[in-house]
Amino acid sequence: MSQTTQFRVMDFDCPTCASTVERALSNVEGVEDVEIHYTTGRVEIHYDDGVADPDTFAQTIENQGYTPQPA
Amino acid sequence: MKARSIRLYYRKHRKAVVTATSGLLYGGGWGVGYLTGLDTASAAILVLATVVGGYDIARTAYHEVTNRTLGIKTLVTLAAVGAVVIGEYWEAAAVVFLFSLGSYLEGRTMRKTRTALQELLELAPDTATVRRDGRLQEVPAREVEPGEVVVVKPGEKIPVDGDVVDGESAVNQAPVTGESAPVHKADGDEVYAGTVNREGALEVRTTGAGSDTTLQRIIRRVEEAQEAQSPTASLIDRFATYYTPAVVALAIGAYAVTQNAILSLTLLVIGCPGALVIGPPVSVVSAIGNAARSGVLLKGGEHLERAGTIDLVAFDKTGTLTTGDPTVADVEGFGSDDDEVLELAATAEKKSEHHLADAIVEAARERPTTATDGGERTAGSRGSSTHRSDGATAAVREGDATAVREAEANAGARSIPDPEAFEVVAGKGVVARADGHEIVVGNRALLDERDVEIEEAVAEYVREREERGETAVHVVRDGTVVGVIAIRDELRAAAPAVVADLRAAGIETVMLTGDNERTAAAVAREAGFTGLRKRGGDAATQEVGIDDYRAELLPEDKQTAVEAYQADGHVVAMVGDGINDAPSLATADVGIAMGAAGTDTAIETADVALMADDLERIPYAVSLSKATRWNVLENVGLAVVTVTVLLAGVLTSYVTLATGMLVHEASVLAVILNGMRLLRY
Repeated sequence: MSQTTQFRVMDFDCPTCASTVERALSNVEGVEDVEIHYTTGRVEIHYDDGVADPDTFAQTIENQGYTPQPA
Repeated sequence: MKARSIRLYYRKHRKAVVTATSGLLYGGGWGVGYLTGLDTASAAILVLATVVGGYDIARTAYHEVTNRTLGIKTLVTLAAVGAVVIGEYWEAAAVVFLFSLGSYLEGRTMRKTRTALQELLELAPDTATVRRDGRLQEVPAREVEPGEVVVVKPGEKIPVDGDVVDGESAVNQAPVTGESAPVHKADGDEVYAGTVNREGALEVRTTGAGSDTTLQRIIRRVEEAQEAQSPTASLIDRFATYYTPAVVALAIGAYAVTQNAILSLTLLVIGCPGALVIGPPVSVVSAIGNAARSGVLLKGGEHLERAGTIDLVAFDKTGTLTTGDPTVADVEGFGSDDDEVLELAATAEKKSEHHLADAIVEAARERPTTATDGGERTAGSRGSSTHRSDGATAAVREGDATAVREAEANAGARSIPDPEAFEVVAGKGVVARADGHEIVVGNRALLDERDVEIEEAVAEYVREREERGETAVHVVRDGTVVGVIAIRDELRAAAPAVVADLRAAGIETVMLTGDNERTAAAVAREAGFTGLRKRGGDAATQEVGIDDYRAELLPEDKQTAVEAYQADGHVVAMVGDGINDAPSLATADVGIAMGAAGTDTAIETADVALMADDLERIPYAVSLSKATRWNVLENVGLAVVTVTVLLAGVLTSYVTLATGMLVHEASVLAVILNGMRLLRY
C-alpha cells in the first residue's frame, strides 16, 4: 500500500544539497516519490510499505550529512 | 555519563566543532609558516586542517557523485584536493575552512527562516479538558470529537475550533488573526484553536480538532505558499542547471589552454551560483512567514511578486469598507403607522436571505408592540423616529423592572407571520403576498419596474436618508407606497486611514457597490475616496481614467469593472468578502479576501486572505509585497554582480581559491541576511 511520511531537515545549507538527498531517497527501493523543499526543510516521501522500510529513510538522510527530525 | 554528554554535544554541534577546529588548525599552520619558516611543519598542519574540515564535505561530495548531481561540495572537494596536489596547502585549507564556516552560518540563518512557522505550530495545546459522561476528562486535543464540549479555564489556550456555548471572556486571537487587541467572546461566538482565553472560563462546542482546525489550515497553507516557486526563482533554477556545468567546462578548457591549475581550481570554487539560487526564495519565504504572523495569508511567491506591482485597489463596500452588520436606523410611515410598515416589510422579507432583509426582520422582532402585550402600546416606539431602541430600553423608561423581563422575553418570542407567496427580484428587492395583499419591498428600480408612483414626500425622505449614506427601502402595499425603512451599515473605523495610506503610497482606490448612487457617494465621501470623480464626467476624469466609486453594480458588473481597469493597464487588487465577491476576486490580479478565519474556502482560494476583518492589513500587505519585490531584485542584482566580478577576477588571475571562496560565501550570506530583513518588516 502506498504510504506517506514526512521529515524536517533544518540544516540544508544550499538548494543542491536538498536535491542530493532527494536523489538518494528516490534510489531507496520501494520509494515512489520524494518531495524536498529547501526553503521550508520539509521532506515528503511516498513509498510502498510492502517494499520499503520507512525506518531506513532517516538513516539515508543522515548518510548525506543532514539531520532529519520527525515532522 | 560525561563522555556521553560530550558525545551528544558533539553530534549536535558537529558542524560548529569541525569548522572551529579546521579554522584553528588553519590559523596555526599559517602562523607556524609565517613566524618560524618551518615550511614542512606548516604544510602538515594546513593539510590536517584541510582533512578535518573537508572530511564531511568530501563524504557528501561522494554521495553527490554517486547520485549523479553536480553539487558545490563536489566542486569544493575537487578544488581542495587539486590545491593539495599542486602544493598550495594554504589555499586548500582556506577554501575548506571558509566553505565550512559559510555553510554553517547559512544553515543557521536558514533554520531561523524555517522555524518562523514552527512557532505557529507550537501554539496549539496538546491536551483538552472535555466534558464526557457528565465528567471532565483530560484528553489529547486531536482526539476531541466534533460536538463535544471543551472547558477552557482563564489563561489557558483554546485547544479546538468551536462555538462558545457557555461563559464569556476576552480572547487573544493574535496567533490566528493577527489582531493585537483581545476579542470579546460570548454565547454563539466562534473561537479558534491556538488562541488564548484571558479572563473568564469558556465552554466550547467543538467544530474541529486536530488537523481540522483553522490554525492547522493556516500552517498548511503557509507552507505550501513558501514551497511554491516564484517565477523569478524558477527562472534562476533553470539558469543554474546550465551555469554549473558551463563553469566546469570553462575550468577544463582554461586548464587546457593556460596550464594554470590555480585558475581552473578557482573557477570550480565559484562554479555554484549560490547567492543567485538562494536569494529569491529566502526573500519570499521570509515575507510569507512575516505576513502569516500578522494574520495575512499569501498564496505564494508568484502572487507576492504580482502584488508588488499593484497600482489600483478596488474595495467592495458592504462588509468590506463597512461592518456588514446593517441595522434599521429609521422607519417612516406614509399614510400608515411606522410599526405596521415594519411588520409588513418583515413579513415580506422573512424568507429572504439578503443581509438587508435580516436587518428588517430583526428590527421587527425586537420591537415591542400592542400585539404582544395586549393593551397599550409600549413607550419608545410612539412618536420616536429612531427605532433602534429595543424593548428593554423602552420598558426601562416606564420604570418597571418586571416589564423589562417581559419585554426581553417578548423580544425573543415575537413572531413574524409567514408570507403566502414570495419572490426575490435580484438586486432590487422582493415581491410577496400576505393577508390577501401584495407587498413589494425594494429600491426605486423595482418600483419603476412595477409602475408604482412615488410621491414627492417619499422621494424627499429617501433623498435625505441616502445623503447620510443609508440605504432606503420602499414598502409598497397593493401598489401604494406606505412607508420607507432606512438601513445603516456603519463604516469601519479604519476605512478612511486605509484609503489615505494607499493613496499616499501612490495607489489608486476605488469603491464598487451595488448600492444606489447617493448612498454610495455619501459612503465614499466618508471613507475618503476624495475628489469624487464620476465616470463619464469632465475631462479630468478621462485623464485619470479612474472613478472613486461606482454605484448600482450587480455582482457581474463588479467583475466587468475590474476587467475594465485591467484593460486600462492597471494591476488591480480587489478586496471583498471572498464569497459574494468571489468572481471579481478571481478576475482581479490579486484577490484579497477579508475575515477569512471563519471561511475555509477563502483561506484555500484567495491570493491574499486577511484572517481578521482588519482593513489596516491591506496597506501592510501591499507594502510588504512591494518590499519583497525590491528585496528579490536586490538579491538577484547582488548575486549577478558578485558572479561577474568573481569571473572577471579569476580570469585575470586577481582572484585565487581562498579569495574566491570568501567572496562566494560572503555573497550567499549577504542575500540570506538581506532576505531575512523581511521577517522583521
